[in-house]
Amino acid sequence: MHHFTATKMSSSMKMADQIDANPRLLLMLQHFNIDFRVSDLTVSQLCKQYDISEALFVDIANLYNGFGTKKDQAYTKKDLLQVIDFLKNSHHYYRSDMYPQINSYILMLQKNHPEREIKLLEKFFNEYFTEVLEHLDYEDNVAFPYFIKLLKDSREDSAREQFSSIEYSEHHTDIELKLHDLKNLLLKYVNIESDLDLRRKLFFALYELEYDLFVHSLIEETILIPSGVNIEKKENA
Amino acid sequence: MLNSPLHIVILESSKIIFEGLYSILYQSDIHCRVYRVENIDELSDMLKTENINIIIANPMHFVNRDKEIKKIKKEFPSLSIVGIDFGIMQKAVTETNAAFTLYDTPEHIIHLISRMDSRNKSLSKNNDDNDNLTKREIEVLTCIVNGKLNKEIAEELNISIHTVVRHRKNITTKTGIRSQSGLTIYAISKKIVEIEDIEI
Repeated sequence: MHHFTATKMSSSMKMADQIDANPRLLLMLQHFNIDFRVSDLTVSQLCKQYDISEALFVDIANLYNGFGTKKDQAYTKKDLLQVIDFLKNSHHYYRSDMYPQINSYILMLQKNHPEREIKLLEKFFNEYFTEVLEHLDYEDNVAFPYFIKLLKDSREDSAREQFSSIEYSEHHTDIELKLHDLKNLLLKYVNIESDLDLRRKLFFALYELEYDLFVHSLIEETILIPSGVNIEKKENA
Repeated sequence: MLNSPLHIVILESSKIIFEGLYSILYQSDIHCRVYRVENIDELSDMLKTENINIIIANPMHFVNRDKEIKKIKKEFPSLSIVGIDFGIMQKAVTETNAAFTLYDTPEHIIHLISRMDSRNKSLSKNNDDNDNLTKREIEVLTCIVNGKLNKEIAEELNISIHTVVRHRKNITTKTGIRSQSGLTIYAISKKIVEIEDIEI
């Protein structure tokens, strides 16, 4: 039995120890397309093996560990393309893993408890899920292609006019809000009799999702958007 | 707010001292989450992402960082700072709200920290998240559930739009629910509206 005491990661630490201190890093590895069998490698060796920038890896890991990133970090264009891949992979995790899982729990809950209140909860979740999908689609189809273009071809700015990093940050809606509502409703208000196993699974899934969404938006707000703004400034200068 | 944990960050580069304080805190009755930082910069970063209530600090870290300390205090006025008194730095200890030495008993340290906790509570008393809505708030909530716009609510209850907005804010603070559909489920759970009245 131990408490998690995530400390700030540095590149000389062993990856396996880091996962032991904060198992949420497994999810980060997956988003980076890194296998979970990390052997005895240090963070630095692991990054080399997978050709990922060490600074970027450590910064994102520290967001997962509950620390902020340094301001005005200079990320290379290659780093930022990796950030986009990372974010795309997490979209995949939301879309095809987390949300279907949560949805199935809610459907089961509704089957076990025919009250109309639970039906409303399901409706609430579905509406929310639709909004999330719209947001993810927007990022996949509009925002990310824009960033990729910005990063790849430097001067040929043909499809540039309808978008900018600032606009993206404005569009960047708060999809954590309704998740928070759902959790609060289940914790504080909606009365469901017993069924603790199912409800615990639902809670764990909601917390897991909430945490990853939280880090996800931190990555966008503290890494991707500021870097995008910087590149735009340079190129418009 | 009785059940929400106290977020405590320990600013101390000695792992031994950190671990000691950590286990004293977790073995006590204080409901808390404990974080560790090793310098002022990490502390400032953490304050931005976590809602920290108390800092337990080795005042050595404050030396020559007056500007940063001042800024932190200004930005987070409800934050309490408890210093670890090593008996060598009188001035630095004055930056803190309270101090203990490493030779104090765990009971003394816990007592000191719980006192900081109640201080925070009296400062932010109106944030008490008791979800007892007033009669007016319940009327506004019923309108919200029925899909009425602020303007319509204002007309129906004969109050200004500004007042409606204020009631809505209070409802959200008290219940912790922000979306309209979430509030609908809340209102049904609390039997404020009849479920039969709601279209599914």
